[in-house]
Amino acid sequence: MEESDSEKKMEKENLGTRMDPPIGETEGSLGWVLPNTAMKKKVLLMGKSGSGKTSMRSIIFANYIARDTRRLGATSKMFYLIVKSGDLNNSHNTLGCSNLGMQSLTDLFLSIQDTFMENYFTSQRDNIFRNVEVLIYVFDVESRELEKDMHYYQSCLEAILQNSPDAKIFCLVHKMDLVQEDQRDLIFKEREEDLRRLSRPLECSCFRTSIWDETLYKAWSSIVYQLIPNVQQLEMNLRNFAEIIEADEVLLFERATFLVISHYQCKEQRDVHRSEKISNIIKQFKLSCSKLAASFQSMEVRNSNFAAFIDIFTSNTYVMVVMSDPSIPSAATLINIRNARKHFEKLERVDGPKQCLLMR
Amino acid sequence: MANMDSDSSHLLIPEVDNEINPGPMNIQFDSSDIRSKRPFYIEPTNIVNVNDVIQRVSDHASAMNKRIHYYSRLTAPADKALIAPDHVVPDPEECYVYSPLGSAYKLQSYTEGYGKNTSLVTIFMIWNTMMGTSILSIPWGIKQAGFTTGMCVIMLMGLLTLYCCYRVVKSRAMISSVDTTTWEYPDVCRYYFGSFGQWSSLLFSLVSLIGAMIVYWVLMSNFLFNTGKFIFNFIHHINDTDAILSTNNSNPVICPSARNGDHPDNGSMIFYTNDSGLQQFEKWWNKSKTVPFYLIGLLLPLLNFKSPSFFSKFNILGTVSVLYLIFLVTLKAIRLGFHLEFHWFMPTEFFVPEIRFQFPQLTGVLTLAFFIHNCIITLLKNNKNQENNVRDLSIAYMLVTLTYLYIGVLVFVSFPSPPLSKDCIEQMMTVYPLLGYLARVQLLGHIFGDVYPSIFHVLILNLVIVGAGVLMACFYPNIGGIIRYSGAACGLAFVFIYPSLIYIISLYQEERLTWPKLIFHIFIIILGLANLIVQFFM
Repeated sequence: MEESDSEKKMEKENLGTRMDPPIGETEGSLGWVLPNTAMKKKVLLMGKSGSGKTSMRSIIFANYIARDTRRLGATSKMFYLIVKSGDLNNSHNTLGCSNLGMQSLTDLFLSIQDTFMENYFTSQRDNIFRNVEVLIYVFDVESRELEKDMHYYQSCLEAILQNSPDAKIFCLVHKMDLVQEDQRDLIFKEREEDLRRLSRPLECSCFRTSIWDETLYKAWSSIVYQLIPNVQQLEMNLRNFAEIIEADEVLLFERATFLVISHYQCKEQRDVHRSEKISNIIKQFKLSCSKLAASFQSMEVRNSNFAAFIDIFTSNTYVMVVMSDPSIPSAATLINIRNARKHFEKLERVDGPKQCLLMR
Repeated sequence: MANMDSDSSHLLIPEVDNEINPGPMNIQFDSSDIRSKRPFYIEPTNIVNVNDVIQRVSDHASAMNKRIHYYSRLTAPADKALIAPDHVVPDPEECYVYSPLGSAYKLQSYTEGYGKNTSLVTIFMIWNTMMGTSILSIPWGIKQAGFTTGMCVIMLMGLLTLYCCYRVVKSRAMISSVDTTTWEYPDVCRYYFGSFGQWSSLLFSLVSLIGAMIVYWVLMSNFLFNTGKFIFNFIHHINDTDAILSTNNSNPVICPSARNGDHPDNGSMIFYTNDSGLQQFEKWWNKSKTVPFYLIGLLLPLLNFKSPSFFSKFNILGTVSVLYLIFLVTLKAIRLGFHLEFHWFMPTEFFVPEIRFQFPQLTGVLTLAFFIHNCIITLLKNNKNQENNVRDLSIAYMLVTLTYLYIGVLVFVSFPSPPLSKDCIEQMMTVYPLLGYLARVQLLGHIFGDVYPSIFHVLILNLVIVGAGVLMACFYPNIGGIIRYSGAACGLAFVFIYPSLIYIISLYQEERLTWPKLIFHIFIIILGLANLIVQFFM
C-alpha cells in the first residue's frame, strides 16, 4: 500500500476505566483473562530465563518492555512469577528484578533451583495450571542444556495434563536468526520430532520463530487462529461481506495484538509481509497515542488509487477494508462496516463466550 | 468493551493550540500547508512514484524497516534488548541514508583510506616505495658482479624476493583461528614465535628502514654539499667544471654510490686557490662536518607530521623524479654511446670481467633493493580489489626489476659520465619523510600500541633517526657498505628466514608438508644466511 499524498483521519475516544487483571485470587486468574465471562481462561507463556519471552510478549502485545516494574505496579510481581515459572534461576529476587539482575544470580542459585522448582511447582502448581487454555512454551535454539530444557518442559506438561488436559500446546523454537540459514530447517525438524515425542500423549504444535523476521508474527497468528472456535464460519461470513461491499481485501485483526485472524482477498497482492507491517504500524501508532492518554479507534487512509478503513469491529476484533475503487464514498463503506458489525457480533454471541487475548 | 492501555486517567484535550506551540514543523512544506505538520520521518517507499514498476526498496527491507522502527518504540533508548543484531541488518553497502528532501546517500566506509586504491595506484605505491637509494647502487653492484652475472643475479633475486613477499602476504590467510584483519607481519611472527618473533621482526624491519634513512641522509648531505658548492662557484665565477665533471677519474664524485662505495671525496677542493672567502665557505660548508647538520632543519619538521595522506601526495614527486632520472639516464646513454666490451674473466684497464666473484656484494645490495616485506601488508590492505593482490604484487616486482635492469645497464654501459647529482636529491627528499613515517608507524605502533602517541614520542624517535644519519654522514659515509650490511641483515630475517619458516610451520600444522617444499624452503633459508655471512668477507 502506498501512502503518498494521503490523509489519515483518526478518531480518538475517551478513556474509560482501566482493567487490571484481578490479583490475589487463588484460583489463579493470573496471566491473560477474559474478565467479562464466567469462565476464566488463561494463556501461559513459559520458558527459560533469557529465552525471549519478555521481548516476545512486548512485541506482540505492544507493551513497553517491563524493565522497571514501578510502571506495572504490584500486579506485575505475580505476573512475573508466572511468566518465569519455568526459569532455572527463579528466586526470591524475581520480584522487581530486571532480567539482567536475574541472569547474574544464576550461578548462585543453580544449586538450589531444582529443589526450589520442585517446591514451587508443588505448592503453586495447581493455581498456575488450572483453566489453562493455551500453553506456549519457548525454547531457545541456542541453549546448551537441552536435557534440562526438556526436563522442565515435561514437568510443565505433567502439570497441564493433571489440571487442564484440554489445553492446546504450542512450542516455539525461538531465536532462529542465530542459526545459519542453510541449517535452520534441519535443526527445526530435529527439535520438532523430539518435542512431539516428548509431549505424548498431549499434542503439540511447533513453530520456529525469530523476532527479526516475519516468523514470530506468523506463529502467533497461527496460534490465535487455532484459538478462535468457529473460524471457518467467520471466514465464510467475511468473504460474503467483502463481496457485497466490493472490497479488494478484508482482514480481521485481533483487538490487542493486531494478529490476523482471518482474511479475504480477491486478487493477489504483491507484498507478502503486509499484514505484519500493518500490525507493526498500528501498534506503533497505538504506543504514540498512549503517550497522549488516547486510544486508537479507527483510521481511514485514502489515495487516488485506493481507500483503506481500519475500525473496531467486534469486542475482540478490528477490521481492515481495502477498496480499490476510490469513487465509492467513505460514508458508504463506513455504513456497510457498521451494519456488518452487528451481524458479526451476533455471530460471536451465538457461539458463547469466546476466548480473547486481552492485554492491558 | 474493555479499553486500551494507558497510565493516566485524565481525558485527552482534543485541540492543541498550534499558534502558541506549533511543535516541530516539516520544512518541506510552507507553514500554512497542513502537510507541514507531518513528522519528518518519511518512508523510503514514499519517495517512489506509485506507478514505478521497479521498487526502490524491496518488500523484505521495507518489512524489516517497519519492524525495527516498531521495536525501537518498545524500549528505552538505553536498553539494548531490541536492537537489531548485525546479521539481520543489510550490509553497509546496501544501506542508504534518506534525507527529508528526497535524495539518498550511500553509506561511505568509515575507515579512512581503507580499500580505496585501484590496482594501478597500489602498483605504483609499491614500485615507488621500493625505488629507493638502491637504485643508485645498482650500477655499482653490477660493476662488482660483472655484467652478465649482474643481469642474471638481478633477475634471480627479483624472483626469489617476489616469492618470499608472496609468502608474507599469504601468511595471514593460513591462520584461521584468529581474526587477522588488522595484523601486520610482526603480528604474524608473534603468533608463530611468541614475543621473540614479534620483537625480532620489528627490529629487523627497523634495521632496514633506518639503514635506508641513514643512507639517504648521507647522500642528501653530499648533494646538498655539492649543490651549495656549485652555487658558490657560480656566484664567484670559479671555473670548477673540471672537478665536477671529472671523467678521467674512474670514481666520479657526484653520485658517490653510482661508482664508488668507498671514498666520498672530501678533498675535491684541491682546485681552489687559497682565498679567505673560500676558506670561510669551506669551513661552514663541509661535507662531513657541517652540512649534515643543516639538513636537520630542513627535514625534521617534515618528519613530525601525523597523517600519511600528506606523505603519499608528497610521494608523487618521488615518482616523478624517478621517471626523470630514467629519462635523463636514457638521454645520457644516447649521447655518450655504449662503452661495452665483453671480457669474460680477465680485468682490463677500463672494463671489468663479466663474471666476478664479488657478486655477493650485488646480492647484498639487491636484498635491500627488493625489500618491501615489512610494509607490503599495509600497502596491499588499501587495495580496492583484494583478489588482485598477488597479481598487482607481481606486476610491481616486474616493474621494479625492469627499472633496475634498465638503469643499471644504461649507467654501466654508458659510463663514464653520468651526472646524476641534481636529480638524485629531489627524489630522495620525497621518499625520506615517507620512510620516516613508516619507521614511526612500525616502532611506535608496537611499543605504544598507538601510531601517533604524542608529539614528544614522535619527536624523540625522529631525533634518534636523524641523529644516526648525521653520525653516519660524519664518520662512516660509506653508502655501499651501509646498504650491503643492513640489507643482508634484515633481509635475512624478513626476506629469507621468517616467511619460509612460517610457511613450513603452518604446513606442518595442517599436515600438508611435503619433502620437496621442505627442502626448497630450507634452501632459501640457507641462501639468506650465506648472503649475510659472505658480506663480511668481501
